[in-house]
Amino acid sequence: MNPFSYILSLIPLETAYAHCDIPCGIYDPTPAQIAAHTVIRMTNLIDELKASGSEPSFDERKKIIHRISRLTKVKEEHAELVKEEIRIIWGDYFKEENLKDYPDLHKLVFKIMKLSSRVKQEVDPEDALELLSAVQEFAEIFYKSKGPEIVRVPSGYPTGGEIVSHK
Amino acid sequence: MMPRLKPNNTVIVSSVPFLFSEPRVDDIVLFKNSDKIMVKRISKILNGKYYVRGDNKVDSKNIEPISKREILGKVVITL
Repeated sequence: MNPFSYILSLIPLETAYAHCDIPCGIYDPTPAQIAAHTVIRMTNLIDELKASGSEPSFDERKKIIHRISRLTKVKEEHAELVKEEIRIIWGDYFKEENLKDYPDLHKLVFKIMKLSSRVKQEVDPEDALELLSAVQEFAEIFYKSKGPEIVRVPSGYPTGGEIVSHK
Repeated sequence: MMPRLKPNNTVIVSSVPFLFSEPRVDDIVLFKNSDKIMVKRISKILNGKYYVRGDNKVDSKNIEPISKREILGKVVITL
């Protein structure tokens, strides 16, 4: 150990960090798309629910209410997940300089936030599809900003449609 | 803070410069953020708030602007 290092070792040093969290650099818009597909699925399932007649029995009503409650819960959770996932990429990954290339980014994120709220409030398959479409648009901007070639692959989910990914 | 500061660099920080003058844009400062001591560069000063960011724009997270009393000192020497 050289004398300078020895002197330094005698001084109580404190650690300072240059990052407020672990700078993992791992961002991916896929979870947001999966959540948006889930919202579509839950919306469709609620929308397709039918009673056997105009005066269903108490037991049947109980089952329908129970099923709607569960489907709604999942729809709420995944709409919130869309918000969270998009917010993280928007807030942590994108920088001010990205806005030069994607000037409508803020507007698109605002639209996704509002659509996510709307799909919670309503049971409208068109709103859910619009949410997925906006999230896919966001995913395309994300991949364009990173550089890899964008591909749209079939989702393979009961909702059909696609997932925006990269090669 | 790459390339100006690298992991495990030792820096000497002093609060003395800020006794005589206000922190300025481009100063590298030490400040408290929650329970962590952090080091970043002042990028902007607006309405008495100091906006700080890392030099490495790829990894640098945006954090809330800080006030002068949160600044512990200025990096004066990097060893």
